[in-house]
Amino acid sequence: MKHTPTKPRPLATLAHVDLTTRRVEISETPPELVRKFVGGRGLNMYYLYKYLKPNTDPFAPENPLLIGAGLLTGTGAPNSGRHSITTKSPESGILGDSNIGGFFGPELRYAGIDRLLITGKADAPVYLYVEDGRVEIRDAQKYWGTNCSEATTRFKHDLGADVEVELIGTAGENKVRYAATRYGLKNAAGRCGTGAVWGSKNLKAIAARGNLGLPLAHPEDLLAKCVELRKYLHQSKVIQTLGRVGTPLLYDVSNFLGAIRTRNSQQTSFEETLNAEEIHRYVDKMLSCAGCVVHCRHRNSLGGEGPEYTSQVMVGANIGIADPAQVIELQNIVNELGLDVSSVGTYLGWAIELHERGMLDKKMTGGLELKFGDYVTVKQLIYDIAARRGLGDLLAEGSRLADKFPGSEDFLIAIKGLPQSDPHDVRYMKAFALGIATASRGADHLRSRPTLEIFDLPAEFTRQVYGQPVDPNPTSYTSKALVVTYNETIYAVVDCVGICKFNCHGFNSPRNLNYDHFRELIYLATGLEFTKEELVQVGQRVIDLERLINMREGITRQDDTLPARYFDEPMTGRRTKGHQIDRAKFAQMLDEYYALHNWDTEGRPPRERVAEFEAL
Amino acid sequence: MKQIYANPDLCTGCKLCSIACATVKLHVANPRKGCIIVRQNLFERYEFQSLCRHCDPAPCLDACMTGCIERDANGVVRLDSARCVGCWMCVMVCPYDAIARDLEVQVARKCDLCPERAAPACVTVCPTEALMWAESTK
Repeated sequence: MKHTPTKPRPLATLAHVDLTTRRVEISETPPELVRKFVGGRGLNMYYLYKYLKPNTDPFAPENPLLIGAGLLTGTGAPNSGRHSITTKSPESGILGDSNIGGFFGPELRYAGIDRLLITGKADAPVYLYVEDGRVEIRDAQKYWGTNCSEATTRFKHDLGADVEVELIGTAGENKVRYAATRYGLKNAAGRCGTGAVWGSKNLKAIAARGNLGLPLAHPEDLLAKCVELRKYLHQSKVIQTLGRVGTPLLYDVSNFLGAIRTRNSQQTSFEETLNAEEIHRYVDKMLSCAGCVVHCRHRNSLGGEGPEYTSQVMVGANIGIADPAQVIELQNIVNELGLDVSSVGTYLGWAIELHERGMLDKKMTGGLELKFGDYVTVKQLIYDIAARRGLGDLLAEGSRLADKFPGSEDFLIAIKGLPQSDPHDVRYMKAFALGIATASRGADHLRSRPTLEIFDLPAEFTRQVYGQPVDPNPTSYTSKALVVTYNETIYAVVDCVGICKFNCHGFNSPRNLNYDHFRELIYLATGLEFTKEELVQVGQRVIDLERLINMREGITRQDDTLPARYFDEPMTGRRTKGHQIDRAKFAQMLDEYYALHNWDTEGRPPRERVAEFEAL
Repeated sequence: MKQIYANPDLCTGCKLCSIACATVKLHVANPRKGCIIVRQNLFERYEFQSLCRHCDPAPCLDACMTGCIERDANGVVRLDSARCVGCWMCVMVCPYDAIARDLEVQVARKCDLCPERAAPACVTVCPTEALMWAESTK
């Protein structure tokens, strides 16, 4: 076979699309920026820092929207199907950033574009069409008003079945503050309301078709390494189980412990009807994202994909629904409308409790009686949120609603204006609590979740992982800042390279891919040489940059906190009964966390960091 | 003759097989350049692999107007991309829809069973054993 050389390609490219002027400029990303931020979340943050003026309204045309692939996205490295979407969040008012799988990120790279920087606002609905180094702004009027499956199917009908489409549903069009960006039947950049920002710009979709080859520096060695790592990963029990039943396995673990967010965290254990094996009755087949060796996605028998552990609890236990078919049905609807299931479930649980407490009366609910476990009412309410009808319109404002109801904030399970994503109640495991309190996008576990805390690992093992032993007791406050900092750093790196966290060291298993694996894969795919220390520095740099972006938006130490309920009320379930968070000990953990970051006692990065970023 | 056999029930749609093919043949990543094609429709709820059966007689071989498709001494139907002009006749006549169009350089890509390797690259990378490298039992 002829070895036809692919056109030369820069390491990374940026397409700046101004929707107001309808101009597109494509440029090479300077290689020194790639060395400093690698790609994905890291490079997105660099551009957000440069292009976002402090105090910009997230719905203003000036709010930059970044869609950026990782340095390994689409290379065939294990689970390298991910990319990041970054903007100022209309939900939290601070940085918004969400990572998504599926096949769109790789396709964007095969089309010769690594990152889109979208500014401005189109005067009518548009979509972007990306193919082989060019980006076109096209009319999307005929697709506006459609939800995710229908819109994707229509785009594929009109453009060809082989295009990959990322888009928003009606929730994004209606600027529901926690609307997601969606791909396929389930993949979502769910968090932080990225989809609402698409809607505010009149951007319905981005379709990509990539015929260009992504050059590989050492193809044979890369292939051999990928096979070796796949075999290595498949030895992990957690990876095996994820491939068999997906994330619902975590429900069983958390519920057994008594740490499942139940009825807006008023209780912490729920029915076994939502156990993984019960959910699995509704699964037809397990699927993969691009380049995935885990296949944790479910094709469910009710017409959609999922549920993940998050949806299983957020539209299950958290709103008191125990029937697995109803839970799957609700999450299918949430996905179709293009909403973030973590936020939807949290706000629904919150609204029901407020109603029960008399803080949200029938006048406000439009006559609706809100009860935990009421499938019919909740289902209607989800449609109303996406359409901004009645009470749904109020709830579409998300955490901002708390300002209208004095005292209601105490019952909202959110931090920095973002509802907690992890269904795990963090009052028991103190490292989990510190992790969500300090996460740069608000209450989110995917920034630092130190899952190894569950396993009571011996000191000699934790010394190997963290460089020094940590207290194996998950309820202790000692040395947990180190655990969070370690995980936060490696997760930042995995988000920059474009690999799924399920393969990342520490996320679910002590096995999985670590800095040395990333270093090898980057070298074999791109020829770029990084030391382990340099990759650690990339992670730290991204975390510092995120802190500085948030500080510009007014974030201080006071915001690195937990929902009031976690401090003030003890847990109710099983082994966790009686556990809560001690304010003084939490403050001490926070001090240690800042010190490990070289931040001052108020959580501010050193001046040299600011100077470093200003110089770029 | 040893052949690649596909089991669509085990295919999860990751496309690693197609990427691996492009990796070893062209030193680039892009499943569209691979000689094995994963066809998936999430909404119609299917995925399967389209791959060359090295038919005998082979419609692609007969249809090729430049003569760039030939059967070698081992029975493998091979396509020499250097002589391909991108007319897509082979693509159209293939009963298994198993010949890929490389639109970047306008040539057809077709499986040659990786004669230089112990097993075809696609089989080696498949994480679910949805591809098998086995002797034909005909």
